[in-house]
Amino acid sequence: MSGYLITIATIIVINAIVVCGLNVIVGYAGQISLGHAAFFGIGAYSAALLATKAGLSFWAALPLVVTISSVVGLLLGLPSLRVKDDFLAITTIGINFIVEAVFLYIPFFGGALGIGGIPRICLFGLRLKGFSFFLLCLAFLVLVMTACWWFTRCWAGLACFALREDEEAAASVGISPVRFKLLAFVAGTAMAGLGGALYAHYMRFISASDFSFPVSITLLSMLVLGGMGKLWAPLLGAVILGALPEIFRPLVEYRILFYTAILLLMIRFQPSGLLGDESLARKVLAKVVPGGGR
Amino acid sequence: MSEPILRVENLHKHFGGLKAVNGVSFQVAPGEILGILGPNGAGKTVCFNMISGVYKPTAGKIVFDGQRTDGLPPHRLAALGLGRTFQIVKPFASLTVLENVLVARGIANYGRFGRIWGPWRSKDQVRAAMEVLDKVGLADLAGRKAGLLPLGNLRRLEIARALVVGRKLILLDESFSGLRHAEITRLEDLIRAIRQMGITVLLIEHNLRVSMKLCDRIVVLEHGRKIAEGKPEQIQSDLRVIEAYLGRKRRNNAAGG
Repeated sequence: MSGYLITIATIIVINAIVVCGLNVIVGYAGQISLGHAAFFGIGAYSAALLATKAGLSFWAALPLVVTISSVVGLLLGLPSLRVKDDFLAITTIGINFIVEAVFLYIPFFGGALGIGGIPRICLFGLRLKGFSFFLLCLAFLVLVMTACWWFTRCWAGLACFALREDEEAAASVGISPVRFKLLAFVAGTAMAGLGGALYAHYMRFISASDFSFPVSITLLSMLVLGGMGKLWAPLLGAVILGALPEIFRPLVEYRILFYTAILLLMIRFQPSGLLGDESLARKVLAKVVPGGGR
Repeated sequence: MSEPILRVENLHKHFGGLKAVNGVSFQVAPGEILGILGPNGAGKTVCFNMISGVYKPTAGKIVFDGQRTDGLPPHRLAALGLGRTFQIVKPFASLTVLENVLVARGIANYGRFGRIWGPWRSKDQVRAAMEVLDKVGLADLAGRKAGLLPLGNLRRLEIARALVVGRKLILLDESFSGLRHAEITRLEDLIRAIRQMGITVLLIEHNLRVSMKLCDRIVVLEHGRKIAEGKPEQIQSDLRVIEAYLGRKRRNNAAGG
């Protein structure tokens, strides 16, 4: 594989990990988040700082990075989960702008210059780059998707589904809305943090604009395109929205317009996404492969 | 009367200047069907919402199964064994009928962090959920998306969920409203069957005829106050109840009398 393809594939896999986290929050628990890039960024910045300022290795820092992301997720989740629907969407947009501003204006976080000189990840004495780094990301994606798969099959996941459908009814069967929403938020932000750490060590230079509001929109577009609440949706969405801009390179100026158009078209014609229960793709699949619609 | 399963004492709920419930007291004995009756705006649903934890009472006491529960949130009351339905049905629409009941079966696990990681689609769980669906007559529709069911079946689905959660008491909020005649008869049979299982039922009903047939005792509310309590026969002949429902007799209108 050429370096170009590997770069694109690695970014796609990292995005898929982050979108898996978004899927837990939005797809499973039904809590709209338009600020997911903030948690992606918190993971990336804490990994970068721990590596450059504290001199920790990726592996030593990883538990800390995931903990920091999920604790910040918990702290920001506590007040924002007291609001619902449109208000939650606006609150999470606000979180995204605040976090980006903190990265941009506080010198500790590198300010406008960002953080550079982030070392490569070492594994068994090997410095991972190119294809080996891609394999590491893939391994983490498998881990994250396994966690997501388990989440949909355990009581915690079922409780989140119930909350997504109707909060009052969920509470009437013993589900604490606050507790399970926070659980989803913490799990989702932890995955975003993991993705951020991989991103920081891959790019080796990060700046605040990597985690701005349009990135949140892109991440959400991937999820909506794939199908909210579906296990394979994050990967499918990340592949399509990661590969298309490369194929249509000359149109790169129009990327956001293109994403917006996709989002609108999906909402109008395929609200449940490509993998959704009633989607066109599934109907076609069901015709081609017997039982393929499942 | 044996130790009541639910005791409501001097309950008040005020919304600003509106006294929606204004000093209501009653008790529910184990195994009985108690009906709360009253015209629109009498405070029935507000009472219900206080008992199930949705509203915090302005004043007064609620004792459920020997424990003060006023002010506890709904999920805590559910964990204590109180199941409920909603006047406007609230199914988990994109889940199947079976999954809706399984959500309720999780009541034993949701409270403990160590137990929420266990699988919910196990054989035992599915079998137990199917038994409940069988009781309410929805077993045939187990695989159907709940959002596609007609109102009558949604009411049964809510009763199924309430049966799982409500080991001690279930609250039925106007389960008969909006149903056709045949559906009403079938639902009456279901509620009688629930009584046969020994489950205590507190129901709100708008429909006089239905509640007269089903309830062991009836409490009548009007303008947030209790105006009568007793057996259905007593309630039927109670002058204040008749007034509340039909209006006061106009004594000077002798020509019409």
